[in-house]
Amino acid sequence: MSSLLTLRNLSAPTTTGRMAMALPLVSGLLLIPQAWLLAHLLQGTVVDGLSVSLLGAPLVYLALLMVARVALGFGADVLALASAEQAKSRLRRTLVETLFRKAPIWTASRSSGALSAAMVDQVEALDGYLTRYMPAMVQAALLPIAIAVAVLPVDWFVALLFAITAPLIPVFMALVGWGAEAANRRQATAQGQLSGYFADRLRGLVTLKLFGRDAAEIEQAGAASEALRHSTMGVMRIAFLSSAVLEFFAALGVAGVALYVGLSYLGLVNLRFEPFSLQAGLFCLLMAPEVYQPLRLLAAHYHDRATAKAAVAEIATQFGSASVEDDQIPSAIAVPATAAGARLVLHDLCVDAPDNRPVVCKASFSLKPGEHIAIVGPSGCGKSTLLEAIAGLRPYRGSLLLDDCELDQIAPSQLHEVIGMVGQRPLIFAGTIADNIGLGDRTADAARLQEAARRAQVSRFAGQLPLGLNTPLGETGLGLSGGERQRVALARLYLRTPGLILLDEPTAHLDVDTEQAVLDELMGFARQRTMIVVTHADAVAARMNRCFRLVDGQLLPMPVPKLPPAGRRSAA
Amino acid sequence: MKALLSFFPAFRPVRGLFLLTIVLTTVTVAAGIGLLGLSGWFLTAAALSTAGAAFNLFGPSAGVRGLSFVRILSRYFEKLTGHSATLRALSDLRRWLFGRMFARSPLPVSIGRGDLVSRLMADLDALDTVFLVALGPIAVAVITGIGMSVLLALVLPVAAPLYAIGFLVATVLVPVALVQVSRKLGNQAAEAGAQLRTGILESLDGHRDLALFGALDATTDRIGVQAERLSMVKQKLGRLGSLAAAAVQMTSAIIVVGTLAAGIDAVSNGRMDGPVLVGLVLAVMASFEVSAVLVRSASRLAGSIAAAERLVDVAGGAAPVDGVAPEVSLRANAGLVFRAVDFGYDARAKVLNGVDFAIAEGECVALRGPSGAGKSTVAQLLVGLLQPLAGTIHVGGVDMAQIPLDALRRHIALMTQDAPVFHDTVRNNLLIGRPDADDTALWAVLDAVRLGEAIRSLPGGLDATLGEGGQSLSGGQARRICLARTLLSPAPVVVLDEPTTGLDPQAEAAFLADVPRLTAGRTALVITHADVPATGFRVLTLRAGHIVDQAAGTA
Repeated sequence: MSSLLTLRNLSAPTTTGRMAMALPLVSGLLLIPQAWLLAHLLQGTVVDGLSVSLLGAPLVYLALLMVARVALGFGADVLALASAEQAKSRLRRTLVETLFRKAPIWTASRSSGALSAAMVDQVEALDGYLTRYMPAMVQAALLPIAIAVAVLPVDWFVALLFAITAPLIPVFMALVGWGAEAANRRQATAQGQLSGYFADRLRGLVTLKLFGRDAAEIEQAGAASEALRHSTMGVMRIAFLSSAVLEFFAALGVAGVALYVGLSYLGLVNLRFEPFSLQAGLFCLLMAPEVYQPLRLLAAHYHDRATAKAAVAEIATQFGSASVEDDQIPSAIAVPATAAGARLVLHDLCVDAPDNRPVVCKASFSLKPGEHIAIVGPSGCGKSTLLEAIAGLRPYRGSLLLDDCELDQIAPSQLHEVIGMVGQRPLIFAGTIADNIGLGDRTADAARLQEAARRAQVSRFAGQLPLGLNTPLGETGLGLSGGERQRVALARLYLRTPGLILLDEPTAHLDVDTEQAVLDELMGFARQRTMIVVTHADAVAARMNRCFRLVDGQLLPMPVPKLPPAGRRSAA
Repeated sequence: MKALLSFFPAFRPVRGLFLLTIVLTTVTVAAGIGLLGLSGWFLTAAALSTAGAAFNLFGPSAGVRGLSFVRILSRYFEKLTGHSATLRALSDLRRWLFGRMFARSPLPVSIGRGDLVSRLMADLDALDTVFLVALGPIAVAVITGIGMSVLLALVLPVAAPLYAIGFLVATVLVPVALVQVSRKLGNQAAEAGAQLRTGILESLDGHRDLALFGALDATTDRIGVQAERLSMVKQKLGRLGSLAAAAVQMTSAIIVVGTLAAGIDAVSNGRMDGPVLVGLVLAVMASFEVSAVLVRSASRLAGSIAAAERLVDVAGGAAPVDGVAPEVSLRANAGLVFRAVDFGYDARAKVLNGVDFAIAEGECVALRGPSGAGKSTVAQLLVGLLQPLAGTIHVGGVDMAQIPLDALRRHIALMTQDAPVFHDTVRNNLLIGRPDADDTALWAVLDAVRLGEAIRSLPGGLDATLGEGGQSLSGGQARRICLARTLLSPAPVVVLDEPTTGLDPQAEAAFLADVPRLTAGRTALVITHADVPATGFRVLTLRAGHIVDQAAGTA
């Protein structure tokens, strides 16, 4: 990641980018004839006493030059904007791709607020660097030299003054801006923390409010916001100070030129072969601020660079910590396409929990195609973790063979064709119920969505809503109860043709009646397919072929629970 | 624009600093104009002078030096005070806005969490333009424009109208037009930004499911398109800004050339001195420093207006009931009474239809019923998250409509179905229930919910940080953290909405059997689909929106 994301990579010049940097340069060079013409006009009027009619041509040229510079400036702006926006857009896409190459457990272990802040706010923070700093840097490097060269034929001393003072300024600026990057880093961190805090607390505003914690949380938000303010102010102070230092030296330079020209006029200094004309003097005076202008511009945007560096560092921190193994793309082994159930063989399988506590150690068993098993056990024993490992979402040791292929060697896209899993906290995203079900298969038409909704008993509650399956859902599925959310997620499964079904508590939150209806449909769908269900409910376990109990890292076979006939509405 | 103006009061506490900033900015601009004008005049006068050493060199050159240092200092302090005041106001505003979100929660589902974070961060920051970009530069531009016009009227009357009109165009007309034209785009940019953030947050939360369903590539494309859209809108917006800047530069070019032509005419006719002309032309050029700043600001103003509207949208509207009622005393011994309570999001599709029940003080009641029967609605009505369509609810002997929300919430502790575990320590997650609880109380409640052992085994114990969304806990453990938090609360009434989700049957049965003991001395209402133990509970059954069974024991 760190090699992927550097400021230099980001600003890798495109044609647009190069043009965006060249145009202001041309515009800056045109300043030289513009100043010359202005000085010429003033000389003509003040010294030679010419009238407007005689000075018409230079006046028109001056106006044309000004118009040309306006047009160049506009063009440069538009191009810089386009190239910066393209770069940001590309970077965001790259970050999403980077994220999705990592294992889902990596994402789950991070603060989503901070990650999203990196992808939205920190990328946005590159704006100033891309649109302003880059062109300013090119101008600062070239224009002072060009102006010094242009002034040389007019007055060698002024040219020398320019050539000596201009390069000194960046040195002083760098000295002042020494702490800029650290300050920016602090600011980026404070920003990430604040937005992470908001993203976390906003998930539970109601809970916090019910416990009367609003005042305390608002206080805490206020404190975090103040911390951001202080660190932002720290950045600003350095930026302002460095531009003040620069202005100071620029002012010295301009004053020096003015004094030299003035003294030459009065004959108190004489370093020239011929007397100074008013035009030459004014030209030097007009050029003096322009020598320092690109540097001032650079100083004004110097903090843009520091901001961008801090942003890049923050992005790298968020995405780069390789403590959890990045998903290497496995050498894609093709799983033999299975029309029916998959065969699953576990041999000495060990899986660790996120806190490195072993969840399962040396587990061995095999599942024949079409077999159904339940895994039960006390809550917190790691059933879900084991299921996630079988789904290829977690690293494991030992051997896990899916249709005779080692699971971690199968390409994820292949694997997820074969495995259909509904987890315990399924994602419900902003969109209609139908959109949410459609995650299972984006090509599904309305009829198939209806059928999936019916099988998962989504229609039971959706049918009572005025908009039915077209009812919009909130970001975290607000408006749906736990059981309803679970059923929407289950409906996704019915759009797919998995050989291995993995379910985590498919009937939690459900009343007996709905639970039976959900199970009836599920057993119909799972006929011929292999299935592992993690459950607490005897009603679910009773319908499986075999049952395992997960205790202290051991998978122990146990008898399938028998339900009293009253608990079964109908036999599957 | 109205939305933006409504934030002015937030800037009132720092108005002294703002005034100082305007004064300093004016000094900076005036010093800049004076500097160039004086230098031009001085040099030309020196060039024309035949007096040699007798020419008064020191007055003007001291003036030049003085002005340039005044300018440097005033600019430094102007920036410092302006930013300091703005950031202070924004920080207060952010705190206030978060407070409003609390007051208005539960917030409309239509605004996603990413969107809300966007509003608290990016949109709020965009309000800095109110002063830094709009008020300050406009004030300074007006002062400068009037000053220079008066000066021109005195020295070169022909050029004064041209300057006044041109300056008006550059500092008022162009910025106003720019804001008007880019209003819609500003809105689109804010929306596109929020959509992008929502899309990203969703894919972070749902990474696992997206991977499982092979939807990663499609999601990458979707976010890519969202990023692209944001970038397109921003480009359009930026282009308008550049166009406005070009218009201002064009105006200033016309004024400079015009003033120059008028000045040349005046000098050649002997109406004006040469050095004055040079000084004047340079001063006019310097005065346009103000308008350049203004256009850069105006291009951001459109974004600020959109941001302000989105902030008003989320902060606006009065908070429900809060603190309108006089202080009431709730009697712990009066229990809970529902009388003919109706509820529905739509009067035609009622969720609850004539719900009648009473729970006596100290009673332990289970509310059962099929999914979607309205069990959770009863809980939300009890804590004032929802208001009944008809009927009355009495809490502690007082009609709920008369109870201030904070009093109600001190009286009733509710564990909602979607109660989260926060990205914070175990201790802080629990202290939400009772901020003054000591460690003994925390361990006692953790043991009571059978979580003590698991937490003791975590590195740091009570100070162990739980992952976002309680990800480092199993589903059942996360639930029990929320339960412990609720039980810790000193409220005399405890309402638990599906407390046993994620527990295995044995643990569930054991837990429910524990509830009467855990809530001894308090009134408890447990909403559950699980079988409840034969002893210790009175069972209410809710079906199709009303209570069908009030028998004791198992259902």
